Formats: sequence, structure tokens, C-alpha cells
Amino acid sequence: MTRTILGFILVALGLAALAFLPTQLGAYGVGLLLGMTGYVVLASAWALFSGPTRYVSLATVAFFGIGAYTVAVLSEALPYWAVLLVAAGIGLCVALVVGLATLRLAGVYFVIFTFGLAELIRQLVTWYEVNVTGTLGRYIFLPITAEQIYWQLLGLAAITIAIGWFISRSRLGLALKVIGDDETVAAHTGINIAGVKLALFAVSATIITLVGAIQAPRWTYVEPSIVFNPTISFLTLIMALLGGANRLWGPALGAIPLFLLFEWLSANFPNHYSIILGLLFIAIVFVVPRGVLAGAEDFWKRLRSNGEAA
Amino acid sequence: MTTLLDITNLRKQFGGLTAVNDVSFTVAEGETVALLGPNGSGKTTVLNMISGAFAPTSGAIALAGEDIAGLAPNRIAHKGVARTFQLVRILPSLTVAENVIAALAFRPNHLWGQAARDRAEQLLAEVGLGGRGDEHANDLTYIDQKRMELARALAAEPRLLLLDEWLSGLNPTELRTGIDLITSLGQRGMTVLLVEHIMEAVRALCSRAVVMNVGTKIADGPTADVLADPAVIAAYLGDGHA
Repeated sequence: MTRTILGFILVALGLAALAFLPTQLGAYGVGLLLGMTGYVVLASAWALFSGPTRYVSLATVAFFGIGAYTVAVLSEALPYWAVLLVAAGIGLCVALVVGLATLRLAGVYFVIFTFGLAELIRQLVTWYEVNVTGTLGRYIFLPITAEQIYWQLLGLAAITIAIGWFISRSRLGLALKVIGDDETVAAHTGINIAGVKLALFAVSATIITLVGAIQAPRWTYVEPSIVFNPTISFLTLIMALLGGANRLWGPALGAIPLFLLFEWLSANFPNHYSIILGLLFIAIVFVVPRGVLAGAEDFWKRLRSNGEAA
Repeated sequence: MTTLLDITNLRKQFGGLTAVNDVSFTVAEGETVALLGPNGSGKTTVLNMISGAFAPTSGAIALAGEDIAGLAPNRIAHKGVARTFQLVRILPSLTVAENVIAALAFRPNHLWGQAARDRAEQLLAEVGLGGRGDEHANDLTYIDQKRMELARALAAEPRLLLLDEWLSGLNPTELRTGIDLITSLGQRGMTVLLVEHIMEAVRALCSRAVVMNVGTKIADGPTADVLADPAVIAAYLGDGHA
């Protein structure tokens, strides 16, 4: 109990410190911080669903893009907070429809479907923009500073990790563990497996949609190939896997170093960026399949048992 | 005695294979009934249909008068059917207590928190695993895993308990303990339908037995009569022995 309270205080202090960080950094630093926090939220939200269920989703960018496009379309028609609300609502609805249709698919079929979904939505938006509105890109002119975007993302990161923490201590969290261990047992103990997966998919997708919506004003100009870029899905996935998708802080821990690394790579090796990304992807899956945090725990356990044996 | 489980003309077809062919029988409230038959006779398929793992091709399964045939397993669990599995199924990443809490937390009048932990400890004590809730389910011996699986089934407070070869693979001492455990459940009024190959256990536990062979019911009656039935002996041992 005291450990929990201590943890809360530490997290609150950390958040306060992070919130003050922009005042100490220049424009480039704030931009970096903003992008990093965005990926912390994306990876954490991705892991909410994909960590315990082991359903690898590549639909991240589908929801991210829906969020960004909602802002692009509605930013001049509605107040900003209402736009965010509408974006979250659309993300939630799409997630429920997609979830109902696809959560029966298992393993690789689900991966392929989610990848296809992101492409489908991108093509639909492109088709609509070209044939109906007659333009491809849209401009977003919102009086929102980089600092304000960063603070919103920081708040969303805190909410996402708090949701993860609450779920891990709730009946929903136990249901997830049981489903992860043995779906047959889960069903026979009265767990509504489809319902649990759908709820989690919806929560995760709604948060991802919000990340896209919050970041949209930063770009000023959006078009489908920018906000529906599949690299976003792959980066999110690899970050969560690096840190450990089944640990509360795992995805955040994976997102920070990888984001900085990718920034550095894209600045210094713009031509080889994709190759290095692919190699890194393979290396992470081979070397730390369950994530750095789980790997470190195993290492620590082995060290301790060796110590006891000696 | 009132009928708890009423199975009528139950049929299951897997492609061209008829695994269960027009089987009908009943189980009364508080009764312990054996479902017997040689390997491949369709016993486990019947249990799977009662618990919802498979939907029947046709036929009716009534639990206390309500048709449950074809419902999803989680719905049937909520109607009061709990089961163990032919090959013991534990939740390996959870502790022993959490394995039981998994059932407590998702039954209709669910328990959570301290209440669930207390009840899990109580149930574990009943099956002989008292004080071992914090161990990892994976570290348990085979008999203890079976005990834990039974505690998990009991945690659901079922009206009907399905045991699929729960006693198989136990040594003679463990078998004695296992039989005593199921006897005590029967004495407390639990309705049990069990699939079993160990005849010693069937004689000790079950007042009635239903026998299947190649998907069809061939005998139904008091255990001693059924086991002496020439048709049953022929099914188990071949025609020459009847």
C-alpha cells in the first residue's frame, strides 16, 4: 500500500517535471519532446490491447489518420475541444465495427486484416478527396502552440498508463490473463472473450485516434500519404515490443530510445533509413522477443538463483 | 427426484462422421451419474456439447427445464454448468489461488478482492491444497493440478459438475483420495456427471450409469446392472467375451 502511494507521488513528480521541460528547451527540443510523447502514447495504447491478447495490430495508423483527418475537416466548423470529442467518437465507432468483424480472426489473419484496413481507409480518403472535394491535401490553421500539443499528449500519456494500471488490477485484467493462458478455460469459467477483446480494442483505438487528432495542428498541411503512413504502425509495434508489451512501463521505455534513434537516423542516413529500420525490427524480435523489461527480469532471476546455488 | 439435466435425441456430426447419434438420458438433482463407453464412443463429445464447447447438430439439452443447447460456453457456465478437462487445463502463468479466483470473478454473483481470496483459500483447502495458493500453478504435481482444476470448477458454484476422466492418471493412494473427494461432493447434494474408465471408481461413486458405444446409447440403469449387461461387456471386450 505504501509502495503504491510512493509510486503515485513519484509519477506525479515526474509528470510535473516533464510538464516544465518545454520552458528549458528551444523550438527543436520541444518538437522532439512532442514527437516522443506521441509515440509513448501510441505504443502504450497499442500494448493495452495487443500485449495481453497477443493480437498484433497494424491498424494503428488507420486510427491515427482518422484522428488527424477529423481535425483537418472539422477544425474550422467546430471549437477545438468538440473536434477532439468527435474524433474520439469516430475512432470508437470504427473500432467497434472493425472489432466485431475481425476479432474472430486469429494470428496472422488478424495482422493482415489490420494492415489492409489501414490501406483501405487511406485509399478511401484519397478517393473521396480527389473525386468529391477535388483536392488532395488540407490545411489546418489552429492557434495551438507546440507546447500546448505537448501538454495534451503528456496528459494523454498519463491517462493511458493509468488505464493500463487500473486494468491490471481489475477483473478485466484477470480476464485478459486467463484468455492469454487458455481461451477454452476462459470461456468455460464464464468469461465473454469476444466482449473483453472488443472492449480493449475500442479503448486502445480511441486513444490512438486522439493522438492523431492532437498532433494534427502541428503539421499545418495534411494529406493521406502523410497521416496514413504505415511506418507509424510499424514503429509503434516495434517500440512496444522492445520495451515489453505486457509491462505497464514497457512500451514507454521502448518508445523513448527508439524515437530518438529514428530521429537521428532519418537526419543522418535519410537514404538508408528504411533498411536500418527493417534490420532493427528483426534484431529486436530475435534478441528480446518478450521485451527488454521481461528480459531484464529473467536475467535478474537467473543471477539471484545462481547466487543462491553458489 | 426432479430432473436437472434432460438430454433428448442429441446428435453431433463432424462431416460424414456421426460422433453422437440420437443419445437421450437424464440426470436427476443430486445424482452422481457415470457416462461410460470404450474410447471413441462419444462420451467427451457429449460433455463438450453440454458445456458448450461444441454446438449439437440436433437434439435438445435442458438444464432445469431451460434449453441450453448451442449456447456459448460462457453463457452455459453462467447457467450453472462447470467442468474439468480430460487433459488437465491449468492457467500456467497464474498462481494456484488466481486459478480459482478466475472462476470466482466471472460467475454471475462474482467475488473480487479479499472476498475472492478468502473463498479461493477455502476451496483450495476443501480439495487438499490449503495454504498453497501462492505457489505457481505450473509447479504443481499432476494430482495437485487436478485438485486445483476441481477447486476452479467448484468455485463457479455449479448446479451440474462435469468431470472428464478426472480420476485417470492417479496412483492407488491418490485415487482413494480422489474418490473420497467426489463422494463428499455428492453428499453435499452436488449433481455430477462423470466420464470415467476406472470401474472401481464408477462402482464406488455412481448409483447410475449410461453406456455409449460408437456414438449410440447401449445401456442406462443402476451401475451394477449396467456393468453386468452382456451388451456392455461386448462393447468393452469384444463379442467373444459376452
